[in-house]
Amino acid sequence: MAISARTRSRDRRRMMRLVRNASWGLAAALAAAAVTITAAPAQTGAPQWTVPRTPHGHPDLQGNWTNATMTPVQRPPGIGAVLTPEQVKELESGRQDFIVEAARASDPNRGAPPDGGILTGDPLFDGATGGTGGYNYFYIDAGDKIAIFNGEPRSSLIVDPENGRIPPLTPAARQARQAAAAERAGRGQFDNPEDRPLGERCIMSFGSNAGPPMLPNYFYNNNYTIVQTADHVAILTEMVHDVRIIRLGEPRPLPDHVRPWMGDSWGRWEGDTLVVETTNLPAKQLGGSLSFPGGTEQMKVIERLTRVDDDTINYEFTVEDPTFYTRPWSGQVPFEKMDALLYEYACHEANYSLFNVLSGARAQERREGRR
Amino acid sequence: MTRLNGLRRSRLALGGLLAVALAAAWGAAAVAHHAFGAEFDKDAPIKLKGKIVRLEWVNPHTWIHLEIARDDGSTEVWMVEGGTPNVLLRRGLRRDCLTPGTVIVVDGYQAKDHSLKRANGRDVTFEDGNKIFMGSSGTGAPDEAQRQNIERGRC
Repeated sequence: MAISARTRSRDRRRMMRLVRNASWGLAAALAAAAVTITAAPAQTGAPQWTVPRTPHGHPDLQGNWTNATMTPVQRPPGIGAVLTPEQVKELESGRQDFIVEAARASDPNRGAPPDGGILTGDPLFDGATGGTGGYNYFYIDAGDKIAIFNGEPRSSLIVDPENGRIPPLTPAARQARQAAAAERAGRGQFDNPEDRPLGERCIMSFGSNAGPPMLPNYFYNNNYTIVQTADHVAILTEMVHDVRIIRLGEPRPLPDHVRPWMGDSWGRWEGDTLVVETTNLPAKQLGGSLSFPGGTEQMKVIERLTRVDDDTINYEFTVEDPTFYTRPWSGQVPFEKMDALLYEYACHEANYSLFNVLSGARAQERREGRR
Repeated sequence: MTRLNGLRRSRLALGGLLAVALAAAWGAAAVAHHAFGAEFDKDAPIKLKGKIVRLEWVNPHTWIHLEIARDDGSTEVWMVEGGTPNVLLRRGLRRDCLTPGTVIVVDGYQAKDHSLKRANGRDVTFEDGNKIFMGSSGTGAPDEAQRQNIERGRC
């Protein structure tokens, strides 16, 4: 199948990225030993890579890209910012073991799963499934590699603050979140389709895929297509088929009350880096999601996209919202070139799930004699 | 609620090691496309065996319709929810990889509205227990299993 070729190509690119970072010596040595071709260009003084350009002269960011990775947004406690080769091996082989385990045959004579639900011990999975077991792992494409940025295998996508963690929220933000939760609790989470999360309503990804900031959702479809013209950059996000239109040039910001999904983005070229500033994000997109805690309508997101080789865009972002966070915070995410197609994510047409959730709530009320 | 033990649990936990910190990050409920716990009833486990009568190869979730024979000789059709088809498409797996008439075994939990005859496909396999599709990763091991499924005419 084509998968094997894709996998080999991806692994080769990954080794090349590690080899470029001389400080990661062991991996460089291993990579050089394993794939001699990857070390050859540097030793023979091959021509310096130059960024490809569009007919308009801008750095060419076009193509299909993915930011799927095992590296989480926030750094787990007790781990350094840059992982050791042993840590990378442990984490990636652990994911590998899991995938192999999940592909094993089941007992054909198995019965129903346990009454009362089933927990795996993985809070992310158990939280997502609510104890119902979800569905088979073959549907999942969460990213099975650690993110490598500037040659470093990273333990978090956040790089500032130095601890790799989201800074504390302001007291006002904490109060606002508590008030919003109390308001939702008062009228029920399932009373109205508009009370349901944007992901469940097929409006935006359940993560912060389209952003900004554009972050992986740690489940699937973390893929993008970038298209450029002389004065626009468009980013199609597979999950949920959103297109960000970034206008280039002197910003003419939208009025404060006009707040489209994904906000109002203006871009400019600083050298070979596309710098995008986004404001006017809508409140409903700022309530927090799986990958991103959100903020207030005062939020500003600054993104920097730099193509560093044929197969990588370095994506950097800073979130500024002084009414919500006690300080700005920044992250770095590698976007890797995809050797595969994106597919339409037409979500509304078959969104039985939203119906089932609301219908389930009504049935629960009847069973409990509340209606 | 039952907890998995031993090797299976440790492998699951190791696979999600970094994700653990992510989930705990800001206390947000971790949901994929939707809240499984709100859609399906963990107190209504179910096992289904029957032949495929329809496959909805759509987003946000695939839905397999299968016909179940009841003890009284009648039949009823159940719908089983799976994940996004986009991932499978990228692996070359098409809707016609699962042909109508194929017998499958499903275990999962029934929708909270028990009148709907819908369930999540926690584990969907062929009659012999093999997964109907295979996962994919860097080693190629699951890919190899997938290739064998294709050679067996299962796609």
